[in-house]
Amino acid sequence: MTKYRVKGKGRVNHAKPVSFTFDGDRFEGVEGDTVASALLANGVHLMGRSFKYHRPRGVVTAGSEEPNALIGTTRGKGQFEPNTRATMQEIYPGLKTESQNKWPSLAFDLGAINDRLYMLFSAGFYYKTFMWPRSFWDSVYEPFIRKAAGLGKAPSEVDPDSYASRYLHCDVLVVGSGPSGIAAALSAGRAGSKVVLLDEHAEMGGTLLSEPSITIDGKEAWDWLEAALAELDNLPNVTRMTRTTAMGYYHQNMIGLVQKLTDHLADAPTAAPRERMWRVRAQEVVLAQGAIERPMVFHGNDTPGIMMAGAAQTFLNRFGVLVGENPVVLTSHDSAWYSAFDMADAGANVVAIVDTRPEVPAALVQQAMKRGIDTLVGHTATGAKGRLRVKALRVNPVRHGKVGPAQMLNCDAVLVCGGWTPSLHLFSHTKGSLHWDPEAKVYLPGHKTENVHIAGAGRGLWGIAAALEDGAKAGTDAVKALGRMTGTATYEVSNDRAGTGITQKELPTDRSAGKAKAFVDFQNDVTAKDIRLAVREGMKSIEHVKRYTTNGMATDQGKLSNMNGLTIASDALGKEAPQVGLTTFRPPYTPTTFGAFAGYHKGKHFEVTRRTPIDSWAEEHGAAFEPVALWRRAWYFPQAGEDMHKAVARECKATRESVGIFDASTLGKIEVSGPDATEFMNRMYTNPWTKLGVGRARYGLLLGEDGFIRDDGVIGRMRDDLFHVTTTTGGAARVLNMMEDYLQTEWPDLKVWLTSTTEEWATIALNGPNARKLLAPFVEGADISAEAMQHMSVVECTVGGFPARLFRISFTGELGFEINVPARHGKALWEKLWAAGQQYDICPYGTETMHVLRAEKGFIIVGQDTDGTVTPLDAGIGWAIGKKKPDFVGKRSLERPDIVAPGRKQLVGLLTDDPKTVLTEGAQIVDDPNQPKPMKMIGHVTSSYWSEALGRSIAMAVVEGGFDRMDQTLYLPGESGKPITAKVTSTMFYDPAGDRLKVE
Amino acid sequence: MNAPVTSFDAVSVTLLPPVARFNLRIDPKDLSAAASAFGLTLPTKIGEGAQNGDRAAYCMGPDEWLLHAAESDQQAIVSAFDKVRATTPHSLVVISDRELTLSIKGPAAAELLSVGCPIDLSRLPIGGAKRTVFDYAQVVLIRDAEEAFRLEVWRSYMPHVQGILEIATREFAAGY
Repeated sequence: MTKYRVKGKGRVNHAKPVSFTFDGDRFEGVEGDTVASALLANGVHLMGRSFKYHRPRGVVTAGSEEPNALIGTTRGKGQFEPNTRATMQEIYPGLKTESQNKWPSLAFDLGAINDRLYMLFSAGFYYKTFMWPRSFWDSVYEPFIRKAAGLGKAPSEVDPDSYASRYLHCDVLVVGSGPSGIAAALSAGRAGSKVVLLDEHAEMGGTLLSEPSITIDGKEAWDWLEAALAELDNLPNVTRMTRTTAMGYYHQNMIGLVQKLTDHLADAPTAAPRERMWRVRAQEVVLAQGAIERPMVFHGNDTPGIMMAGAAQTFLNRFGVLVGENPVVLTSHDSAWYSAFDMADAGANVVAIVDTRPEVPAALVQQAMKRGIDTLVGHTATGAKGRLRVKALRVNPVRHGKVGPAQMLNCDAVLVCGGWTPSLHLFSHTKGSLHWDPEAKVYLPGHKTENVHIAGAGRGLWGIAAALEDGAKAGTDAVKALGRMTGTATYEVSNDRAGTGITQKELPTDRSAGKAKAFVDFQNDVTAKDIRLAVREGMKSIEHVKRYTTNGMATDQGKLSNMNGLTIASDALGKEAPQVGLTTFRPPYTPTTFGAFAGYHKGKHFEVTRRTPIDSWAEEHGAAFEPVALWRRAWYFPQAGEDMHKAVARECKATRESVGIFDASTLGKIEVSGPDATEFMNRMYTNPWTKLGVGRARYGLLLGEDGFIRDDGVIGRMRDDLFHVTTTTGGAARVLNMMEDYLQTEWPDLKVWLTSTTEEWATIALNGPNARKLLAPFVEGADISAEAMQHMSVVECTVGGFPARLFRISFTGELGFEINVPARHGKALWEKLWAAGQQYDICPYGTETMHVLRAEKGFIIVGQDTDGTVTPLDAGIGWAIGKKKPDFVGKRSLERPDIVAPGRKQLVGLLTDDPKTVLTEGAQIVDDPNQPKPMKMIGHVTSSYWSEALGRSIAMAVVEGGFDRMDQTLYLPGESGKPITAKVTSTMFYDPAGDRLKVE
Repeated sequence: MNAPVTSFDAVSVTLLPPVARFNLRIDPKDLSAAASAFGLTLPTKIGEGAQNGDRAAYCMGPDEWLLHAAESDQQAIVSAFDKVRATTPHSLVVISDRELTLSIKGPAAAELLSVGCPIDLSRLPIGGAKRTVFDYAQVVLIRDAEEAFRLEVWRSYMPHVQGILEIATREFAAGY
């Protein structure tokens, strides 16, 4: 047995040794230990180096609020985690852990030079030091700060673990399984409510695990606990979750829970996720999170071996570990007296109980005397001796505000209690207000914004009896709020350890306060002196003090430091704490892995990848893909040895010379149906629809209320009362939403309905002079000859035996058809056309070729050639506006003064003087390259390609007053620094007369 | 097509064969005309369903119904609605190919769905249906029995939905 393990004590399994390593050394603990308890059992207090000064630090708490004992853990390749709290990580055989922020070793750390220079590192150090000279910022200061920022090494390997998530609905969610939480769960569970009880620790019980000597209803605490948990487990409506942290409390009682599933296991099953994020929607929430013990602020209060008294009591009673053989207790609250008694009863030689209060209850002093413990009431602590471990505590009497002569108390541990802070972090997430209790000097829950009940020490109550009673009431209140009646259970508690105490600013001292290293925030190395300096330098609100000193800004969010910092700041300002304020707690309650947030969204499931019915064919034929909205689309089909440029040039040529086949399935499709369909279309789109005959199609342009282009697409009239609307790929959902919005809010009188059919249809586009020759043999039920089926028309027929909506339209300038068939047939039809198309050297092409072919014709792509500030007139498609229509969405905006003013950016063509130069999309344009800098930019390139058909480059650009600049030379930045010259032209680069559509 | 995708004792996930599927939009006061065209009394409360043989109807919104029928009846149903359109305006859109349907069955079915579905599944009545989401996908969730659900997912979202269900099913199989 290890030296500090107390035989028969604790809830750990003494018969099951577990060995693990810390900084390469092998240590032995027992089953049930945390890393902290196992190291303490071996007499190791030193577990880390502090962030700024690299001071040696020991464990101070036994819970998730731990600021010092942050370690690196390794469970396997890629499974390193920094900043794991040693107090929460359970040990298992083979666990590897390491200390942080030290070099070359934990006991001898060169970085501790900072500690000698501490006078330099005062509050606001960064703001004051890294100012001048300016040129040092990039080369010296920023790299230095980046190196210094953050504790622990960020993992660099891919995380091989999986993370899960689930939704959960319950009547009552109880956060915390101490006496209040268990009593609340029992009340609600017995009443039949669906209850979830959770705790962040491996075991439920909270304070009860550390207080075995009390009795409840005639049972010893642990027997009562076992019976209570068994009762909960027998209720089918109650779920218990351990190792589960309520990390965030969001609107309408949505609580995020992170459940650690495998971090405590030596061999986790491969399919087991490491953690699971639960998104819980609870009707009622009971917060029973208890209170966090406050450190005391005095010189050297961070020396290893100085820790919270309650933590020492937990290490003793729950883990069977004595944190020291000769401890001194330093307190301002009754609770630490009981910790001292437990230590003494377990065989420790408690050197003294030092209480800063002028008076303490006589009963406590008597109990101390009975155990032979010296009591020093009305004393202060003014220093600690020892560097890697405390050797003595310097204490002085305080009489009438005067600090008397010092004495040294030799010891190997100092157990501190500066009072208790109700844990209101989750309540704070709800934006519930806090009210200041001036007597107890604590914030307590005030106005509530959610259906939440706070019970026990979380609202300032003390003692097991009070906690049980309050928890039972909270559970009952929750059930009543759900509209059910139930009674409130009562509990009989004896040997309770109720008590009171005070909280205070930094302890009075007989030495220079200006030189005291009296730490307020252990994790960020903030001292009392820093906070007072911040106030002297003008910080008046705690929010400013916090940011200036970084107090409470570490990963523990100031669980130990906030209230001490506030007390000192309010003292320095001479104001009551509420006038100085309180910083806001934000989720997550404790540091949470990125994995838990990401859940299943990694690798293949990082984001939805939508695939068309023809996607697998493209993949088999070697397509390169590009993401378009959530879709992946075939980008181009490279053949052996081809890069994108060559592949696209070949695809363009093949399509213009014979026939190309293109998967257009991603186009958005909306069925607009009903007797008022025409009226609806007239109001939504700029174009007129009344005279569009059945079987005809028209380019439709959609504006926003602001008159700017939102979307476009070809729209076919299937019946008098039915339009087949197509939208851009990325605009599909947006356009449907916009239409529904207008229909439901502006024109509920219209009898028309909208249905998305994007995924009902697979769409295959055939383009090129041989398109009809290829298609015609497959078509039944329609004549698609040039005479019978004009450009811009649509017919229902069968194609390849599949029911189809067949459009004759063209986005390439060639004779073109778009065949829509039910999605399941898309690939089969494609393969039929592919096979038959071999005689015409059919060429599959992707989105890049589609972009080039349309640009050669000057067809815009919404979102590429438009950016939300382009009107139809700016884009040169004013012809799409129905001039005689009384109204359409955006019509009035087209008459706004800024819209009709001259000099707007207009979409024009650009042809470089050197035909081989392909402009860069996004390149800025000037009209005089010799003007002084900064030059006036008059526009930018929106589309730019190599045109195989024209044997030269082409580009589209938006240019101020572009339509009036035809043939002007404009200038763009070139690679060599020499400007590129280009002439303004029409955007119709290829076949402006449209002869190529007229293939017989 | 209907081979089990993934299964173990507590839950099985199976891709179902296609059905004739329609989106019906109609003024609720004209519902009887639609009912006689479809041959089934349509439910009037959002979330409710009605079933008779292979015909089923689910009320999805104030004027919206999801209709199911045997594949072979699709054209006949379209024609029946065509006949009443002149007198009773409505929109009937074939969406048989828009969605694919998964069957999720077994004692752990509801819990498996809770992996991606935020609604309180205990409040979804047997025979009812809800439009909701599964992870990033919009879905229609139909409850056929206490432990039997169908999930209708737009075709292109199906691999994502299936993939997550598959990972989650492995969690269940491993006891997590």
